[in-house]
Amino acid sequence: MTWDQVLELIKSILLTQTGVPNLAIGQVIMILISFFFLYLAVAKEYEPLLLVPIGFGIFLVNFPLAPLMGFTEHGDPELIRAFYKYGVQWEIIPCLIFLGLGAMTDFGPLIANPKTLIIGAGAQIGVFITYCGTLFFGFTLKEAASVAIIGGADGPTTIYLTAMLAPQLLGPNALAAYSYMAMVPLIQPPIMRLMTTPEQRRIKMRQLRPVSAKEKLLFPLIASIFIILLIPAVAPLMGMFMFGNFMRECGVVKRLSDTAQNAMMNIVTILLGLSVGATMQADVFLSWKPMLIFGFGLLDFIICTFGGILTVHIMNLFLKEKMNPLIGSAGVSAVPMAARVSQVEGQKADPDNWLIMHAMGPNLAGVIGSASAAGMFIAMFK
Amino acid sequence: MTRITNRYFKRTFWMWLIFALMMVALTPKTAVWAAFGEDLEKPKPEFTREGDVITAKLIPRAKSTSVMIHFQVSGGRLVDVEGMDFKEAEHPGVDNKDFKSELFMIKIDKVSPGGEVKVSITSDFFSSSTQFWVFNRTSKDPWMNSDVQNQSLPDLVQKLVVSVKDGGPFDSDGTADGRITLVGGPKDSFWGYALGTLFIRFFGIFLVLSILMIGMIVSGKIFQMLDRKKEERGKEIQLQPAAATPDIQPAETVEPELATAICIALHLHFSEQRSTATSYFFTPALSPWARQGRERIMNARTIPTNRGNRLQNR
Repeated sequence: MTWDQVLELIKSILLTQTGVPNLAIGQVIMILISFFFLYLAVAKEYEPLLLVPIGFGIFLVNFPLAPLMGFTEHGDPELIRAFYKYGVQWEIIPCLIFLGLGAMTDFGPLIANPKTLIIGAGAQIGVFITYCGTLFFGFTLKEAASVAIIGGADGPTTIYLTAMLAPQLLGPNALAAYSYMAMVPLIQPPIMRLMTTPEQRRIKMRQLRPVSAKEKLLFPLIASIFIILLIPAVAPLMGMFMFGNFMRECGVVKRLSDTAQNAMMNIVTILLGLSVGATMQADVFLSWKPMLIFGFGLLDFIICTFGGILTVHIMNLFLKEKMNPLIGSAGVSAVPMAARVSQVEGQKADPDNWLIMHAMGPNLAGVIGSASAAGMFIAMFK
Repeated sequence: MTRITNRYFKRTFWMWLIFALMMVALTPKTAVWAAFGEDLEKPKPEFTREGDVITAKLIPRAKSTSVMIHFQVSGGRLVDVEGMDFKEAEHPGVDNKDFKSELFMIKIDKVSPGGEVKVSITSDFFSSSTQFWVFNRTSKDPWMNSDVQNQSLPDLVQKLVVSVKDGGPFDSDGTADGRITLVGGPKDSFWGYALGTLFIRFFGIFLVLSILMIGMIVSGKIFQMLDRKKEERGKEIQLQPAAATPDIQPAETVEPELATAICIALHLHFSEQRSTATSYFFTPALSPWARQGRERIMNARTIPTNRGNRLQNR
């Protein structure tokens, strides 16, 4: 073998088998973006459970020639592509997350005060307003729906709907949804103060009635009957949610409930985060679209908060026992962060006012409301 | 917690907020259109023929499932139907988003020269407001509303009937030669559809959750009523006269000395188990939340272990 041949071989190896000569500026930018999200997750502890795998997914997938998100010569998916294909594209992981969420959720506050369901519906106004706004900016109908659902502040619902309607926007949508969910304590309080008077913030609500175990057990069945009969398109999400809750409340399958709440939830969160992060490759992400999605997502969130509080104001016109309008902001889901924000703001007005359990009602209604909105969109584009 | 939040608020949140809003506000619409230049939804129809009827199968814009559109002609012979990209018929003032599919090029022959044919286009995908717009590039105003007859058939099927004259304005070849080429497509207002359906669906969510609310209120009342009845029944059992319970007769008489000995033994046994030191918990800054929780716990305790120090802890 001559020196020329050796040099040619080295050159060939460098060009085709190492990433360095293939590294593009866009990929470097994406790796820096991944550092930013990892920083937010690790140093600031903002939604670390999701932002760590998402950030690491962005980091990994932007290395050139890395066999992660492509297909092999035989057409088989590479590692993270396989997670994405079977988990997200087949719409399995968001439903499993809903199963785990159902197993974690205590519907007691919502059952004790069913009126708060209306707040969950009112808070979805941002979803529909943003939908119109994005259409005006040239998004297609399906893309607009997937961006609009960000305001519902429900990560799995956003991912489910986006994977179904506009998979090309999955990364930015999921990232926007989880980022803004993490920023609920920052986004909501100024709007809450703007829309309420100090007197309204001091309204004390009557203690919720105790809810029997039987009622809690029957709730997932009753809710499934009503919701799935009226919006069949939402059956995968709502069915899993209520199934998880039924396992929790029936008390005879503690092992299954425990697995759904912990082990399974953790596994699917890892797979979901990596898959979503891996969709953010430089050639897809670095465009105007994600920037606009972040802008619209924020606007959406603000309008949803506004919608929830406004709904309480309207309801108070007809109610004998007034509700504290601060619980309206919890109508965006973001469980339980949004309810905690209501509690904190309520206590700022009156340290002896305990709103958290009252705010959990609209908070849970928000989960049902955003899933219903997703179902409406799915039915619309069926 | 507050300090971290405030610091983050100052450093990061406003930066994000301003940046995001500036992006939305300052981006000119033309730039956005340029950014989204590619049309992701390009419904390409597939055609099949069955006798005199040609059927187009396509997934229309903003839909996930395919629809069928059937073409039939009376007064001539339907030769062929082809898809035509909207780009070939682009014209200011006509938005391709109003057309949910590609355009159709319908070729008809065996028409009496200068005669008229009726083209029937049938689908359950159309609504009663669907129009059929015709494109004729040789005409001065290339896009025309065909003033279609929109007929409602059973099973939510709509039939659009377009009258086309050989050599007339809708005939693309422009000559009365016994052959007609009709180019056009079914048109629905994009914004009308988007906003109309949106309005209905937003109130649909209210409706769904209101129905669920009513269901929950009713079931809640039933459960409360059942619980109340159960409670009342429990009280009744407690209040029943002692006569109802049979008198328990001692099986045998015990000598007073023996009874005293047993009592002393029991007393000593339980006294030994009892803690000699009295525990007090002073929590002067007890919040109502914690107080209420503690009261609940105290009430839930069994009576023998409730030592009644609840008041001390207030």
